[in-house]
Amino acid sequence: MSLFSLGLVRAIVGQILGMLTGMATTILIRVMLGLPAWAAEPAWTVGALFSIIGALWGVGALSDWAKWMKGEETPMHHGPPEGKPAWTRYFGVDYNHKVIGIQYTVWGIFLLLVGGTMALIFRTELAESGRQFLSLELYNNFIGMHGFIMIFAILLGIGGMANYLVPLMLGAEDMAFPRLNALGFWFNVPGSLLLLTSLFIGGWDAGWTAYPPLSARGPIGYQLFFLGVFAVGLSSIVGSLNLLVTILQMRPKGMSLFKMPIFCWAVFATSLIQLTATQLIGLSFLMVSTQRALGMGFFDPGPVGATLMTGLGDPILFQHLFWFYSHPAVYIFILPGLGIISELLPVFSRKPLFGYKWIALSSLAIAIVGFIVWGHHMFTSGYAPVLRYAFMYSTLLVAVPTGVKFFSWLGTLWGGKLTFETPMLFVLGAISVFLIGGLSGPILGTVPSDLPLHDTYFVVGHFHATMFGGFVFPFFAALYFWFPKVTGRMYNETLGKIHFAIMTPAFWVQTLGQMGVGVMGMRRRIADYDPTLGGGSIEAWHLAITIAGFLIGFGVLLMIWNFFQSAEVGVLAGDNPWRSRSPEWQIPSPIPEHSFASPLIVRGEPYDYGLPEPYVAFAAAGDD
Amino acid sequence: MQNNTRHFAAIGVLVVIFTFVIFWILDAVLKFPVAASVQAGPIDALIQGHLWVIAFLFSLVVVIMVYSLFLFRRREGDNEEGEYFHGNTTLEILWTVLPMIVVIAFGYWATTTLSEITQRQDNEVIVNAEGYQWGWNFSLPNSDAITQELVLPVDTPIRMDMTSKDVLHNFWVPEFRVKQDIVPGRTTYLRFTPTTEGEYTLICSELCGLNHTGMIATVRVVSQDEFAAFWNQDVQTASSK
Repeated sequence: MSLFSLGLVRAIVGQILGMLTGMATTILIRVMLGLPAWAAEPAWTVGALFSIIGALWGVGALSDWAKWMKGEETPMHHGPPEGKPAWTRYFGVDYNHKVIGIQYTVWGIFLLLVGGTMALIFRTELAESGRQFLSLELYNNFIGMHGFIMIFAILLGIGGMANYLVPLMLGAEDMAFPRLNALGFWFNVPGSLLLLTSLFIGGWDAGWTAYPPLSARGPIGYQLFFLGVFAVGLSSIVGSLNLLVTILQMRPKGMSLFKMPIFCWAVFATSLIQLTATQLIGLSFLMVSTQRALGMGFFDPGPVGATLMTGLGDPILFQHLFWFYSHPAVYIFILPGLGIISELLPVFSRKPLFGYKWIALSSLAIAIVGFIVWGHHMFTSGYAPVLRYAFMYSTLLVAVPTGVKFFSWLGTLWGGKLTFETPMLFVLGAISVFLIGGLSGPILGTVPSDLPLHDTYFVVGHFHATMFGGFVFPFFAALYFWFPKVTGRMYNETLGKIHFAIMTPAFWVQTLGQMGVGVMGMRRRIADYDPTLGGGSIEAWHLAITIAGFLIGFGVLLMIWNFFQSAEVGVLAGDNPWRSRSPEWQIPSPIPEHSFASPLIVRGEPYDYGLPEPYVAFAAAGDD
Repeated sequence: MQNNTRHFAAIGVLVVIFTFVIFWILDAVLKFPVAASVQAGPIDALIQGHLWVIAFLFSLVVVIMVYSLFLFRRREGDNEEGEYFHGNTTLEILWTVLPMIVVIAFGYWATTTLSEITQRQDNEVIVNAEGYQWGWNFSLPNSDAITQELVLPVDTPIRMDMTSKDVLHNFWVPEFRVKQDIVPGRTTYLRFTPTTEGEYTLICSELCGLNHTGMIATVRVVSQDEFAAFWNQDVQTASSK
């Protein structure tokens, strides 16, 4: 077996060849136009664009469509690739949604580690005041890079959960469009590699929000960053389209929308946002990219007294376009996680989910209201003053459906028979952390109280609490919960509980500490701070935040070690260790290539714990 | 059901106690800088209001959750399932409508506060500020003098007229509470009235490039006489805008 039989290797080689082809094309065109042959910015930009296509072509994500164009048949291949070890399928194009789900998850965890490492590097710098080892340039690069790598990691994480679980929960053979599914995953590989390599050609120093004019005048790294986001955005769009069609079209007979497992509702709401909002971040970054490369003055106000020709662009326009995606994006990040909470609570409470329809519809409500609140990121931007009032009211409305979820979760716990295995602990941790994130929201939603807190560490604390409560904790809960289904073996419960016991209090310290220093007057995105803030107590707070950050990192490594170990030596888990009613637990672990040997018949409700009637049963052989 | 009544009473008492405890902790831990502007008053009042709601809702959810964890934990040898019920429409409507009323009330409170703190005053002193990478220029209208230090008269409504030479910046003095972005290509305005003489720090709180960290300036709030003497001219008062 040669190295080139691994799709990932071919993708990387294809990406490099694509980059070189793009650069050569640029040089050729420039020579033909009579310009100097080499200009760094256009060469890297066109190179990056070609590199995405090169990677997809290299790995073979496009080959079936190419064959169709030539009129060739492409029968769907099932199982591991022929003539290669079974594990190689995880490193190449595979159309099985379970394989793609694992690919998403593992790539997501990899990026989580990279982004987390960057955070630990600049947290170390911030542990005491004064500048220690990071240059201002690297510091500014790392904060933006940490932000966007984590965004990619979260998108991949929710992609992993959705791709693996949704078809199983619907009793479907696979996703509606398996080839599109594979393409959707492979967009992420060149996308994240572009983002990571941007650091080596100058980076980008305007933070993850990349506001122009700063982002329009910085180093070339911006172009790679923009195109990386573009590629991952395409993945979001095709992935969400696939999930929407799957949920709407591939449910078994008798499973009405309100009889789906609740996680599918969360994915449905998330996919609606992803399908319709992602274009706006692509657009906003494309506009900055062309402003840099082609001199289009979209966001360039020009010199004082500028005319139409010299530039009459508006930097605030960018902020509208950017946040029109990037605010709904936080609901993309949290809705699947909140779905996991609603999904797991009944299993460990042994009773029905409280207010199923309310929880399902509150996801949709958050998705819809999420589209009209973007302006709260711009309360201090200088846009028309009347908009402050409008966005204030719309923003406060988000609290209502979010509150419905919290109270319904409490209703689910009430009267249950609770057990506290690791997934349940992470679900409870998620509720506690998301509560901190949620409650610190309205104070930022009303303009007057936002003014002293805007662009301070209070926002950093609020935002990390929503991300950890809405994604990280539920994601870890999901990893522990479905680990026995994926591998057939049980993870180490003691290590899981230690992970929880380290990470949860550490995160409370981190997020509350961040809010605390923000109130003292600590701005965001600064490499050094005034040690006299907060009556001189700010340094101790920063040290505590840094230590907490390292503890969280240690907890995550412990989890990964646990999974690697347990996949080898864990006790056999059996088909349904959690006594769940959900379809995926009624089939063998690990799941065979064709998940469901016979069609699913829906008999009852998904969360009717306590009733003898099962949620789903399987048609007997020969049955229709 | 009688059993539940007892638990609800216990939870009610605990929620009340914890609301006060949490508020006390929040108040002790969240150390805002001293307030030194007229606008800080209503802003801090609104923040206090928020903190009470935060303390109450945090206590409500956490008390019910932790209480449930103890009350409903599975006992050794108990293999039964939980109580069978699907929900309660009255409760759901209640916890949709009540929060709605609360947020609208807060919206109204914030609306009046925002109008109050941004209102034009009769005798405003206009001060020009120009942000650049990485520093500040201050001047008065109709004056050629430029300073790098912001000198302001006490107890006088100020209107900052702000422009940027290059990228986005932000004007923020934590003690004054309010902040405003500075945008190239347009003038943005910020109103406040300093109430306490002394020295403060003006910091840029919109990432503006390499030395964003160091984009600070000294703000000196002085008596009105001293202010006039500093500029060695009559103070310009705004007549319009």
